Amino acid sequence: MVDVAKLKEIARETVSRDDVKYLIGWRQGTFGFRAAPHFVNKPEDVDQLIFSPLCSHNLATYLTGVEKLPVPRGQEADSRKVALMVKGCDSRAVVLQLVEQGYGRDSVVVIGCPCQGVVDQKKVEAKYPDMGENITAEWGEKTIIFNLPSGKTEVPREEVLAGKCLTCRYPNPLLADAGAWEEVAVWGSDDYADVQDLEAGNPQERRAFWEDKFASCIRCYACRNVCPMCYCEDCILDRLNPQWITRAVNPTENTAFHLSRAFHLAGRCIECGECERVCPVDIPLMKLNRKLTKEVRENYDYEPGLDPEAKPLQASYRPNDKEDFIL
Amino acid sequence: MSAEYQPNIVAFLCNWCSYAGADLAGTSRTNYPSNLNVIRVMCSGRVNPLFVVNALQQGADGVLVSGCHPGDCHYMEGNFYARRRFGMMKELLEYVGVEPGRFNMSWVSASEGAKWKDVVGEVVDKAKEAGPFKQFRRDKINW
Repeated sequence: MVDVAKLKEIARETVSRDDVKYLIGWRQGTFGFRAAPHFVNKPEDVDQLIFSPLCSHNLATYLTGVEKLPVPRGQEADSRKVALMVKGCDSRAVVLQLVEQGYGRDSVVVIGCPCQGVVDQKKVEAKYPDMGENITAEWGEKTIIFNLPSGKTEVPREEVLAGKCLTCRYPNPLLADAGAWEEVAVWGSDDYADVQDLEAGNPQERRAFWEDKFASCIRCYACRNVCPMCYCEDCILDRLNPQWITRAVNPTENTAFHLSRAFHLAGRCIECGECERVCPVDIPLMKLNRKLTKEVRENYDYEPGLDPEAKPLQASYRPNDKEDFIL
Repeated sequence: MSAEYQPNIVAFLCNWCSYAGADLAGTSRTNYPSNLNVIRVMCSGRVNPLFVVNALQQGADGVLVSGCHPGDCHYMEGNFYARRRFGMMKELLEYVGVEPGRFNMSWVSASEGAKWKDVVGEVVDKAKEAGPFKQFRRDKINW
């Protein structure tokens, strides 16, 4: 459990440090069940920080977008650290970014927040359509408590939690510089039931399923932009020469886009579920990512983002890797 | 239709083993199906999984990636990386509904002209069974 008062104290201490540029956390959003990312530059801003079941954003994305402006001659670059609040899944993203050397370990301060699951906006908004402004939420014993305009409401967590949280195996941060809270109990286990459902069908069924989903894609690239692991400076989707995937929005190019996006996350997806959360047309992207996660876990005995010393999956091999598909 | 359907298969062959193996099959006057369009690459590890997607988009009914046997790679470990990469790519393609026979991978060494013949026969049979690929073929180039 996270003691929010203590969390704020640690945040205030961190922001006051000379070697910290700013802290990234969450604050209450302006409408409904929303939280918003909060950039704390001054110790006064710490009071707005929250940590509640509404904090679904994976803030590790921002670490890869930290601006490195050109420095005028004779001046030193700003080498101060960025502080970041992480849940369990977010910490895996930070670990993997460190594994891939996206930035150095000394350029980030990680504040761990053990998490008991975050809500799925779509589920709560369907459940409470007459939401008001600034609804806050908190964790109860196996429940989520919402402070609705009509009064406090307690619902079982299974009804409102995001899908990724129902199967979450790493609710406690795996990497943290600060944070001495009680660890929360792991209550999920993952049998990849959603992937197995689809695998059980024949290729025609799977094709029909995905053709239908991919056809609705509008190629907004929100899934790419929000993904903490999608941080190539030169993304193949933006590159014009060679142009692997044209910008036409049609089933052909959409399929190619989704295949390449999913494959770029093979052995790298840390299952934070952000792509699915931000998708404006509700494509079940995690179903695609989790297929590869499952393969990687079963065939290569590898889980990304657990060990800062591990080598990336696709940059390593074992002589006895799976070979049954080779003629 | 009187003429039998002939699939169009793109084969990425590694320069050191599979290409030489295919060459051996040719110089030994081995008879094997001519549905393959061979692209020579320096190593099977050079083949980007997007090549496969792109080939399928642009008119291939099947794709074959062939390299040296594990341990024989000219670059020591290129085919080990390729094996991991395409093991996952094959699963992903099948998961979105591409028939299992469309994407194949093989190890053929420079002395295995006879094996090359068998591999090509099997790949072509599988592609014939799967039929013309329509799932995400580009109908026309847009510009």
